[in-house]
Amino acid sequence: MGRLLLAACACAAVLLGQEFKLGSQVGDFSIKDVQGNAVQFSSLKGDVTVVLFIATHCPVSNAYNERMKSLYNDYAPKGVKFVFINANGNEPAAEVARHAQEHGFPFAVYKDDGNVTADRFGARVTPETFVLDATGAIRYHGSIDDSQEIGRVTTQRLRNALDAVMAGRTLEQPETKAFGCTIKRVKSAS
Amino acid sequence: MTRRLFMAQSAAIAAALAQPVRLIPLDEAGFKNLAASGKGRVTLMDFWATWCEPCRAEMPKLVELESRYRARGLRLITISCDEPEQETGALDFLKKNRAPLPGYIKRPKDDNNFINSIDPKWSGELPALFLFDREGRKVKSFFGETDMAALEASLRRNL
Repeated sequence: MGRLLLAACACAAVLLGQEFKLGSQVGDFSIKDVQGNAVQFSSLKGDVTVVLFIATHCPVSNAYNERMKSLYNDYAPKGVKFVFINANGNEPAAEVARHAQEHGFPFAVYKDDGNVTADRFGARVTPETFVLDATGAIRYHGSIDDSQEIGRVTTQRLRNALDAVMAGRTLEQPETKAFGCTIKRVKSAS
Repeated sequence: MTRRLFMAQSAAIAAALAQPVRLIPLDEAGFKNLAASGKGRVTLMDFWATWCEPCRAEMPKLVELESRYRARGLRLITISCDEPEQETGALDFLKKNRAPLPGYIKRPKDDNNFINSIDPKWSGELPALFLFDREGRKVKSFFGETDMAALEASLRRNL
């Protein structure tokens, strides 16, 4: 019985653990638009894709609203696809839609109900970003830049990563520490 | 002026001067020194920020824990991860919550290296608590909203 329990625990850890890691390929997953319609990631991705976990309440995520708009406006015309995801259990779809409208986001924000996708990416905070190449492999994971205060930014981490991936170059810094508010996950049943 | 009044005024001035007006900047070397300075006591390092709601909610509970276990050798050190503009607010929050002072503010030369040097498994998310035993060894890390019962159990095991 003890062995069975141990095996069950080990399986649960694997199932709940991070699935997509730096260098590994991201499999397809389902998220919802703010109207509640299921959308497959495979229909949103491109040769270069940015997956960003964001929030409506988090002051750090909100400090990046204008920077995220600039990123989208600069890189979407170059063919980069953006998938903005809200995985916070305490921020419903209607609030996500209202927040996007209030801030004039030129991009869609999707809901990750039950933080299933955030778990698969191992995303912990908002904002937190992942850059995928044409094969779907994660080439960059981390923060957008190196300071919440735009005046103190010295390194454009996400832009540097995008430029490198688009040019087929090796990234100097493929992983950085994302900083921001913890993603508010649903409580586990245990 | 009577001698008693003079003494009272001097004590008030000394108390005012003893109240820190800044948080102490902490870089990689500073953190190592701070952790090592607690040998003989159990140290709980709390990385927090004023913008972090769970951090703010946890602070009174951590202060209460420190108060309850201080005599048994616990010390609580708070390290703010705020931007310079928020430092005053961070210090005010610590004072309002009667957190042990001085408080510290994270100012590493390289944030990635700093975080990795404390715990490579730490993503940088807040709150983050690190428990050091009486030998100055890190024995437990807590990331995200803290399970206070689990934290207290860890404290009791090390005190």
